[in-house]
Amino acid sequence: MSCCYSYDGTLAGLLTLYARLLPERVAVERISAVLLDQQSLFSSEICIVTELTVAEAFWQRLNSRLSDNSLKLLRRCLLADHPEQELLIYRYLLLEAEQGQRIDGMLAHPVVASAWKLTQQVGREAHRYLGFVRFQQLQGGIYYATITPDHRILLLIGSHFAQRFSDQQWIIHDQRHGEGIVYDCSSKEWLLLPMNQESQPEITPQEEQFQQLWRNYFQTLAVPERKNLKLQQGKVPLKVRACLTEFGGTI
Amino acid sequence: MATDLTEKLKILADGAKYDVSCSSSGSSRANNGGIGNAASSGICHSWTSDGRCVSLLKILMTNRCIYDCAYCVNRSSNDTQRVALTPQEVAELTIGFYRRNYIEGLFLSTGVVRSPDYTMELLIQAVRTLRSEYRFNGYIHLKLVPGADPLLVQQAGLWADRVSVNLELPTRESLLLLAPDKSRDAVVGPMRQVSSLIVSNRAERKQSRKAPRFAPAGQSTQLIVGATPDTDRQIVTLSEQLYQRLELKRVYYSAFIPTVADSRLPARPETPLRREHRLYQADWLLRYYGFSAHELLDEASPNLDSELDPKTGWALRHLELFPVEINGASYEELLRVPGIGVRSAQRIIQTRRQGHLGIDDLTRLGIVMKRARYFITARGQYVGESGLESSSLRSRLVDAPKQRCPVQLSLDLEQPVVDETASLITGEL
Repeated sequence: MSCCYSYDGTLAGLLTLYARLLPERVAVERISAVLLDQQSLFSSEICIVTELTVAEAFWQRLNSRLSDNSLKLLRRCLLADHPEQELLIYRYLLLEAEQGQRIDGMLAHPVVASAWKLTQQVGREAHRYLGFVRFQQLQGGIYYATITPDHRILLLIGSHFAQRFSDQQWIIHDQRHGEGIVYDCSSKEWLLLPMNQESQPEITPQEEQFQQLWRNYFQTLAVPERKNLKLQQGKVPLKVRACLTEFGGTI
Repeated sequence: MATDLTEKLKILADGAKYDVSCSSSGSSRANNGGIGNAASSGICHSWTSDGRCVSLLKILMTNRCIYDCAYCVNRSSNDTQRVALTPQEVAELTIGFYRRNYIEGLFLSTGVVRSPDYTMELLIQAVRTLRSEYRFNGYIHLKLVPGADPLLVQQAGLWADRVSVNLELPTRESLLLLAPDKSRDAVVGPMRQVSSLIVSNRAERKQSRKAPRFAPAGQSTQLIVGATPDTDRQIVTLSEQLYQRLELKRVYYSAFIPTVADSRLPARPETPLRREHRLYQADWLLRYYGFSAHELLDEASPNLDSELDPKTGWALRHLELFPVEINGASYEELLRVPGIGVRSAQRIIQTRRQGHLGIDDLTRLGIVMKRARYFITARGQYVGESGLESSSLRSRLVDAPKQRCPVQLSLDLEQPVVDETASLITGEL
């Protein structure tokens, strides 16, 4: 009989759930994240209680067992923001338990293909955001950027920016998921923290000038005879434009 | 930073934007204690309303020029405002934009002032300022000035990630016609030199990892398409030679569009943008798919088919090689099937080790069945709606024509004079 399961929405909770269900090879219909205070007495879901030790042991086991390829896939799927990602991962791990490292070559298998597709989406968005981050210099010298990505890509792009802008203080704030990366240039370390924006940050007058320069430059660069707005929109979807200086977006 | 700079940036960006080179890939320069690094994949930061990517800050050092090339917006006879940036200004702009993550690096070109040597020195000075004073390790693409001293060319390559000279016109005759001040040898000379310097630098780096890198992202060039009667065959054959003999990383193609494009003119059989697109497709076939120029184009058909991509066109001329069995074909054979690209061919090879692939598996692997279905079998099964011998095969493969938007009929009594020389395309060298 297949069942619906729920966990508390944390990574540890999800790993506990996998640790409990995988060895039994339980057929699962749905896995949902239900926050603790929303759990209802009468729901048909079976709630798995988070246990840190179980989760950690399971994560260790996965790390030693999975191939590099599968681990990369697993990490990216965990960072995804997809309604069925827990189930996709579960099915993938179930198949992996059966097939072992052969799974790396089973790209045409429906379970692998759908997990792989999600991995691709996350990876592609992370790469795109290497270009779409726009820093603004705030009073006090910190460079601050906001983004609103579909997936939680901050962990995938952090090291790129840490290497590139190692001599400046910067923050990248993912407003959709309420978290951000803070980089400290004296210790050369970056941290992922929960983050909320409370007030409009103040930018320097020099920042204003650079934004204006950039907007003018961007306008000039287009060749009017080759105008192709459809192509542009495919490359820069409307949803990302709110945070891009050249499309009139501000923080 | 005043409006003065805004104005200058506008003019100089305007002069540089017709250079189509945009990539920031191929170099993996690390950040050693300064600012910036190069990402070997290249990163696009934005896209303008013509759909082209913005990766590098593309500007001219100056738009003054002693040459009078017919195709160029900066030619000396063109009546535009002439301005110049100082090396300091170039560096400050680049760093300011880079710190805000607007750009991936700098693309610096220029008009020719006084002499090629003088101009080349100006460019080198700007790049040196960026690299040593500002400790900038991001991507730099530097234009070489045709006719500049070989020693200066060598210096340029040591500071930049990629260098380029634009060939502009595929044949000697066309160059003579439109760019009377430039000789082909002055353009090809630096390309040859850069090519041999890259080869010798590679050998030096094998001897010692400490040897300074010379143009780690290689060199590129650009060709104008449609300004002269050169055929696609001449262009693609030239590109092939450039890739094979001079080891160029990229050849860019730029469709020649007269500035006065008018819908009232009789429709041309193929738009220049379509032709440019087909040339890029052919270019990719040369570089990644193991095709050679003579397979794509020959004496009898010297131009690419505007209705079909070059690979499908080739496949239709070689139906005797198809259908190909997905589970048995080699990687090279798979690459030649329309609808299968490099990635999907690799995936097929990887996946079929686990067991034979069926038709349903192929869609999940990312194969474009719309085209591939006619040219493949999977476990012997053929799923094209019509056979390979069918006369309708070609029409099935041609993209369905886009529906025309309804337009208002009107009488146009004024016919503007079209000045063919007042044209777009490439800005400068």
